[in-house]
Amino acid sequence: MTATADDRAQELHAAGLDGQNRTTLGRMLGTGNVGYAEEGEDGVMRATVRIPEDQLIFDPSIIVFPHGGDIELTLINDDKNTHCALLPHNGDPKIIWLVNHSKGTARLNLDGPGAYWYGSTTGNDEGRGLTAALVMGGEVPDSAKLDRPAQPRP
Amino acid sequence: MTDYVDAGEAVAHRTLSNVKGEAPATRNVDYERIQGARSEPENWLTYYGTYDGQRYSTLNQITKDNVRRLTPAWVFQAGSTGMHSGASTYSFEATPLVVDGVMYVSGPDGKVWAIDPKTGDELWRYKHASPFDTSLCCGNVNRGVAVGHGKVYMYTLNAHLIALDATTGEKVWDTTNGDVRAGESGSAAPLIVKDMVVVGSAGGEFGVRGHLDAFDAQTGERRWRCYTVPKPGEPGSETWPDDGEAWQRGGANCWITPTYDPDLELLYQGTGNPAPDFDGGVRPGDNLYTDSTVAIDVNTGEIRWHYQFTPHDLWDYDSTMENVLFDAPDGRKLLAHADKNGYFFVLDRSNGELVRVFPFVDRITWGEISADGKVTPKIYPDEEGVPVHFWPGPAGGKEWTHMSYNPETGLIYIPVQEVGATATRRRREFKESIPYWGAGVAVDLDDHYGFVSAVDPLTGEEKWRWNHEYPMCASNVTTAGGLVFQGTPSGEFVALDASTGEKLWQFQCGSGHHSSPITFEVDGRQYVAVPTGWGGWVEGFLPGLLGASAGDALFCFALPED
Repeated sequence: MTATADDRAQELHAAGLDGQNRTTLGRMLGTGNVGYAEEGEDGVMRATVRIPEDQLIFDPSIIVFPHGGDIELTLINDDKNTHCALLPHNGDPKIIWLVNHSKGTARLNLDGPGAYWYGSTTGNDEGRGLTAALVMGGEVPDSAKLDRPAQPRP
Repeated sequence: MTDYVDAGEAVAHRTLSNVKGEAPATRNVDYERIQGARSEPENWLTYYGTYDGQRYSTLNQITKDNVRRLTPAWVFQAGSTGMHSGASTYSFEATPLVVDGVMYVSGPDGKVWAIDPKTGDELWRYKHASPFDTSLCCGNVNRGVAVGHGKVYMYTLNAHLIALDATTGEKVWDTTNGDVRAGESGSAAPLIVKDMVVVGSAGGEFGVRGHLDAFDAQTGERRWRCYTVPKPGEPGSETWPDDGEAWQRGGANCWITPTYDPDLELLYQGTGNPAPDFDGGVRPGDNLYTDSTVAIDVNTGEIRWHYQFTPHDLWDYDSTMENVLFDAPDGRKLLAHADKNGYFFVLDRSNGELVRVFPFVDRITWGEISADGKVTPKIYPDEEGVPVHFWPGPAGGKEWTHMSYNPETGLIYIPVQEVGATATRRRREFKESIPYWGAGVAVDLDDHYGFVSAVDPLTGEEKWRWNHEYPMCASNVTTAGGLVFQGTPSGEFVALDASTGEKLWQFQCGSGHHSSPITFEVDGRQYVAVPTGWGGWVEGFLPGLLGASAGDALFCFALPED
């Protein structure tokens, strides 16, 4: 049986691929929710990510930002185990330690457009599902574009 | 909620390491100093060592007689940080630079380091967070940095030219110079000329219209852009269909650093293949300035002359590889270029006139180039769905990795790849960021070999060759100690006698070589440094070693201090 995009979440659940220690020991990567950042008047794009209890997933697992720039993430660990987040950032990745029931922030700068992965680099959290993506939308500045007519895109 | 434990704010990963955070201040590197780089062989100031691209050092502490005593002084492990982008990350393709006792080197995945070249200690680090999903034909790689004006310049995977403070590694400026949505990327090492930083584009496999750009070294403001595919009406546009869109996706990207003649004020830039690589039916004509050396006026960005090595390329024979500048005994200013198509060209670098052309590989079946430069194609994919085998394969008789020229022996040492491929034409419509090849390609899994060929560029005579089971996929460097240092795909780093080709020393680095070694001196001790790490576009140049050991280490060798 082949799942379609619309029933993907249901199919993953039925197959036992969207949680811990069901069909697999860990969650299949990239099967979480999609969220959207909000851009403040100061130009900083903000979003909140939680680690729910016993799921080993960043929720939302994919956060969409309107364009590249400065980001402020609030990270909350609602799990009863300790995790962390090693996050992409221009200059050097940033790391935050997240003990049980803790809350912190990460201020990042990422160029758009494109997708950036992050994960919890403790134990084998990444293998069990604690990876997620920050997706920057938008376009590069006009000065960076090729001198040619608009081209077809997929 | 108020009862959460305060986790604080995320900190830079490097703060949880032994990185020192600062490099010693070095003397300023400017245009005058780079022009005289050969007079300070203790340093490796610019990509090829000197503007002429010779990759020759006058250091002679390590000699034919004592090289057998060469041992590792230190090893720097690049490692991975976070969610790296895959197996192709494991290719360390850079040329390290050394300035007044500080080494600057870039690695895969947007990393740059300042390293103590005596001990291997990490002084500072910078990592550019390029998107994981950037369109890259040939791996998550970077070929090096430029150092000057108190800064370190790097071109990033997502086509940002950035300037870092040479002492701290902190970003000074950041200029977006390419469109990642159009398949553009950055991998070349920038070059400092005058008060500018020059860097070229990548993305030919995605139909990017190639270009070379110059920027103000202090501000990052663009001074000029030279497109290497002309628009309709511009010189060379007659070599593209005049009623089509082919020029807009023409390729000819400049993904290897140019060489430069300060007297003529010309940059010598090799250009990439036309796009689509193998389907010539959508781009009738010679397709200038693809597969060419173009001589570009450094002050204006205008093309002064060009020489096209493979007109209307149907085999993916980029000519991005270096153009080595040397002078004939009669003073004639020459340029040497070993092309992917298997032929070695010597040109007059003042005007582009062909001086000599001869094959430097054993097997050439795609076509023939006569002594006067006439190109006759013989085997090429011109029928839909019909497989065609040809030598050399799309990685060429020599790919981007660099040869060297030793003025004492008068020889050029070419790292040669002998591997063929089968291409089957499969026409497809162009879409931005989608690979635009026009064929299915399978590079031979066996029946391959390689060698270092020592060639006299004045006669075309091969003086010696050092044979190896595998194609040579790494740059070499030659020294006044009478040596040629060459890395192999199977991990050995070898020293050859520059006069005879005899192997005098080797060290197994544990991972294949696909980078550019250098030599330098600190406190009176000569070192040889080489990044290793097998990866990148292995499926294109040596798929027979796709499963070989991978790694990301920088080795540095020296003679024992006693």
